Amino acid sequence: MDSDAWKIIHIPDKPTCPPEHQPTWKVYASVIKPKFANTIVRQLCKIAPLEDLRHVKRVRKKILQDHGETQLTVILCLAPEHNDHLNDLPLDVQKLVDPYELSPFITEVCKYAAVSKEEWEEQCKIWPTSFHPPTYNIDGISGFSEDDTQSIFKFMRLVIDLAVSEHKPIVNAAVIVDPSVRRIIASETDQVYPSSTPRDMTTTETSPFNETGDDRVTNASSQIFLNGIIEKLNGSLSDVACLNPWQWCLQPHETEKCSQWHPLRHASIVAIESSSARDRYLFPNSAESVSPDHVLPSDADIPAKKQKTSSHSPNVQKNCSEEAPRDPPMERPYLCTGYDIFLLWEPCTMCAMALVHQRIKRIFYAFPNPTAGGLGSVHRLQGEKSLNHHYAVFRVLLPGDAHNALNHGLKHAVS
Amino acid sequence: MEPVKEDHCEEESHKYMSLALHQAKLALEALEVPVGCVILEDGKVIASGRNRTNETRNATRHAEMEAVDQLVGEWRKNGLSPSQIAEKFSKCVLYVTCEPCIMCASALSFLGIKEVYYGCANDKFGGCGSILSLHLGNSQPSDIPEEAQRGKGYKCKGGIMADEAVSLFKCFYEQGNPSAPKPHRPVVQRERT
Ligand SMILES: [Zn+2]
Ligand SMILES: [Zn+2]
Repeated sequence: MDSDAWKIIHIPDKPTCPPEHQPTWKVYASVIKPKFANTIVRQLCKIAPLEDLRHVKRVRKKILQDHGETQLTVILCLAPEHNDHLNDLPLDVQKLVDPYELSPFITEVCKYAAVSKEEWEEQCKIWPTSFHPPTYNIDGISGFSEDDTQSIFKFMRLVIDLAVSEHKPIVNAAVIVDPSVRRIIASETDQVYPSSTPRDMTTTETSPFNETGDDRVTNASSQIFLNGIIEKLNGSLSDVACLNPWQWCLQPHETEKCSQWHPLRHASIVAIESSSARDRYLFPNSAESVSPDHVLPSDADIPAKKQKTSSHSPNVQKNCSEEAPRDPPMERPYLCTGYDIFLLWEPCTMCAMALVHQRIKRIFYAFPNPTAGGLGSVHRLQGEKSLNHHYAVFRVLLPGDAHNALNHGLKHAVS
Repeated sequence: MEPVKEDHCEEESHKYMSLALHQAKLALEALEVPVGCVILEDGKVIASGRNRTNETRNATRHAEMEAVDQLVGEWRKNGLSPSQIAEKFSKCVLYVTCEPCIMCASALSFLGIKEVYYGCANDKFGGCGSILSLHLGNSQPSDIPEEAQRGKGYKCKGGIMADEAVSLFKCFYEQGNPSAPKPHRPVVQRERT
């Protein structure tokens, strides 16, 4: 593997699990005569439905090697986890044994639905399951074009540039981008500590109109560029808000610079604020946009439903803009629908949930957050089915050196 | 738990929750999702907040965030240091009409708040037991000695005047959410009294 190259990897809804470590359930199964198959399955669905095992196929079909005959095996019901006796068969199921000439035995099936095609193929070696790719279809899960890849690297470099400033410890940075036109909507850094320079709101309201990102970073040679971050990663990471969200109070008090600091102003939160300020600035009169994310009735999850139903269409990403009126030169955004966010570190759970609320479409981060990460390290919000919006999450792997430096740096930060 | 004390607590918690509900009503009148809260220090209300997501077009402007920002701003202005502010939050009690979402529940842990009392549960986004249990603090094992390094938990209790909180939500959805991205059903204009 080329450790000197940039790389993008998808962080799925559930942790990927090596097939040999897939958690399993014990079940009672039995070979059945094909002529009884329909009747047995119908009865079993009634008396022993497999509620939590919807991904598991009830019947396994096997072509027997020696005489080419088809053998059907059916799952009767769940078996107790720590008991290998067959006499625990529920009475209702027990009643089927004699009439249908069953010979129950205990076997195992995969406990959870597969998260990838590879995992599914492995699962089927144990017992057949079904595999449904994510119900939402977000660009990138099945790969990026060369053009998109370059654009993603460019924005990630911009993030690194923002996070590293000469005389200060490294912080987290967030850049919100409209990928359809590759326009920067907001770019911010942590504002948790008095020492991190507060950005002037007037500049954040006007600067996002620049068509694209900084060409400066494209021209910089990758190595020179990365040297800066490697040095910083070897230093203290204690100012990275999402990595140390509980430590804001340990900072020394510097009164003269004290106007802007705030324990919750993590880069993502500041960037969301900046993007909503831009929205209000560009569209001062239209107050009708925000569907609240608070709670309760199913009425609240319109965007999620919309996404689901249109997931069959190949260009889902267009779906929100298609509904907007076509005349205005710039479409009124609905929060951050359709936008990407680039972050140096995996956001903490607070920030990850803020990005759900604000309807971000894709999240790209470079480094995982083992202390408080909300996208796979500690919690995994992209896999929380109850949420009304789902984004796709990607990690951008930087060339080898930056990684080694980070692993080193992280040891410092957490031990 | 002596019943006498319980009664007293219940009476008190109803008093504070009514103030939070009042904030939620203000949100409803402003055509916002009706959630409101108050923050107490030593039994005295020191901040209040209501949902402002529509007005700000910032879906993170929940009632809790509004109230917290009010306090941080004030304390900062008075020249309090980060550690003094942390000390203050460790004595604060929050009453909110609906279970804090995952974002707010995390934020309250970061701030090190003392106690949280909420009205109805939040089945979709709840961070204090419904979806995640962030009020229990960081469950990750850690070898770090200092308390501040570890995720802080806080005492949390729900179900206080939950029916009132729910009826406000019903009110909101009945009148039609004027700010939904697309009218999914006719907006019913209702006379406001
Ligand atoms: Zn954060
Ligand atoms: Zn909230």
